[in-house]
Amino acid sequence: MLLRVVKDWFSRSNKIERLWLLAKIEFKLRYYENKLGLLWALLKPVMDMSIYYVVFKIILKSDTPAFASFLFIGLIFWNFFLESTTGTIQILSTKKYLYEYSNMNKLEIYISTILSNSIGFFFNLVMFLVFYHFIEIDSIGFTIYNFWVILLFFNLFILSLAISLILSNLYIIAKDISQIWQVFTSFLFFLSPIFYSLKVFKDALPSFDYGNPIAGIIINGRRVMMEGKPPDLELFIWDFSFAFFLLLTGLLILNKLGSKAAEKL
Amino acid sequence: MEPTPALVARNISKTFVISEDSHNTVKHRLFNIFNPPRKKRIEAIKITSLEINKGECIGLLGRNGCGKSTLVKLLAGVYPTDTGFLKINGSTMLMNLGVGMSHELTARENIYVSGSVLGLKIKEVDAIFDEIIDFAELREFVDTKIKFFSSGMVARLGFSIAVKAGADIMFLDEIFAVGDMKFQEKAIKVFESSWIQGKTVVLVSHSMEVISKYCQRAGYMKDGVMKFFGDTQTAIQLYLADNQ
Repeated sequence: MLLRVVKDWFSRSNKIERLWLLAKIEFKLRYYENKLGLLWALLKPVMDMSIYYVVFKIILKSDTPAFASFLFIGLIFWNFFLESTTGTIQILSTKKYLYEYSNMNKLEIYISTILSNSIGFFFNLVMFLVFYHFIEIDSIGFTIYNFWVILLFFNLFILSLAISLILSNLYIIAKDISQIWQVFTSFLFFLSPIFYSLKVFKDALPSFDYGNPIAGIIINGRRVMMEGKPPDLELFIWDFSFAFFLLLTGLLILNKLGSKAAEKL
Repeated sequence: MEPTPALVARNISKTFVISEDSHNTVKHRLFNIFNPPRKKRIEAIKITSLEINKGECIGLLGRNGCGKSTLVKLLAGVYPTDTGFLKINGSTMLMNLGVGMSHELTARENIYVSGSVLGLKIKEVDAIFDEIIDFAELREFVDTKIKFFSSGMVARLGFSIAVKAGADIMFLDEIFAVGDMKFQEKAIKVFESSWIQGKTVVLVSHSMEVISKYCQRAGYMKDGVMKFFGDTQTAIQLYLADNQ
C-alpha cells in the first residue's frame, strides 16, 4: 500500500510541485495574515523558552548545564509535534475544498500541511544554532554529529503525520477527539523530557523513554546537537519503528474512514 | 480504432445511512451504548454498471432526487462506492455551482491550486493563467480573496478554470446556470467550439436541447436505477414520458 502510494507519486511528476505549492500557501496563510507575521514564528519558541527558564532555572534552580539551549531544542521538537497534530485534527473539514470536487489523494493534503510546519521548524532550528553557537556560554561548538538531526527530524515528521492521520480521521466519527487530544497532549508534555534532565526523567519514569515516542527523539536531539555524541541507536531504531507502525495504522484508518469524509463532514 | 475506456463501473451502488440524532462525539456514543440511534437507509443508487469511453460526452437525465448527483459523485471518486468495482483512468473534476476553491485564498492562488490538483505543472498554469483571468473577467480582482467575491464571480472563476485547465474526466452538473446572460453565452460558445472534442464529459442537465446537441449517449435514471443507457433520443423520450 505504502509502496504503491510512493510509486504513484513519483510517476506523476507534478505531485512534488503540488505538495510544495500547497505547503507554501499554507505557510503564507498561517504567518502572513496576522500583524506579527513571520516574526511570530520566531518569537514563539523564544517566549516559551523564557517562561520555562524562569520557572525551572530561577525558581526551581535546575542544575542542568546550558539550560536555555537544553529547553530550546526540546521545545522546537515538541512544538512541531504539537502543531502538526493538534493543528490538523480538523484538516479534512478545513481542506474539504481540495477533495470534494476531484479524486485527489487525501494523503497529499496531510503531507503538504506538515511540510509547511517543517518550514517553521527549520526557521527555529536555525535560530537555535545561532543561539547555541553565539550566545550560549556552555556551548561545545559544532560537531559532525549535528547532521543526525536531519534523520531525527524525518522520524518526527513521520510520527506527526501518523498521529495527524489517526486523529483527523477519528474526527469524522467523533468530533470531541480534539478536546480529548488537548488533555492528552498536556499530559504527554509533562511526560516528555522537555525541561527535566535525562537522569531525573529516567529515574522517575523508567522505560518511558521507550514508551513515549517523542521522548526518544528529544533525548537523541540533545545528544547530537548539544552533547557531541552519536544518537542512542537502540532508541533511535525503536522510535523509527514506532513511528512507522503508527503511520501504517494511520493509513489504514485513512482508507477506512477517510474515504467517507466527503459525505460525513 | 478500439475505444479506450475512461471509466468503468461494475455493479456499483450507494446507500446512505442517516441516523435521526447524530452520535458523533465520544461522549454521545458512551452515554448511548444501549440506545442506538434510529437509522434510516436511503438507497440512492441501486446496482448499476456502465462504461464511458475516452472522448465521449455522456448525458444524464432524470427528475429531481433520482440519484444523478450521487452517481456523478461516485463516478468522480468523491464518494466511495458500497459495492462493486470502479476504475477511473485519470484525474476527475466535478463542477456544480461551486468548484473546489478555498474562500481564504485569492483568485490567483485558487487558480494555481486548482490547476495543480487537476494535474497541471506550475509552468503549464503560468501559460494559461491570463486566459483564465480574462475569460472569467476578473482582471482587477486577481489578488483579492474570493470570500469578497460575489457568488457570480466565484462561479465564473470556477467555470473558467474548468474550461482552461480541465481534468481528464469532467463532470458538469447543471453548469449552464452560471453567471449573467453574457457569460452564459460565452459558456455555450465554449461548448460549441472544439473544446468538447476529445474530452470525456458527463453532463447533467434538465435542458433537452443541451443534451441532444452535445451528447453521443445518454442515461435516464429513475429512483436510483439506471433505467436506460444508450441512444440519446431514446433517453430523452423516456424522460419526457416520465414528466407527463
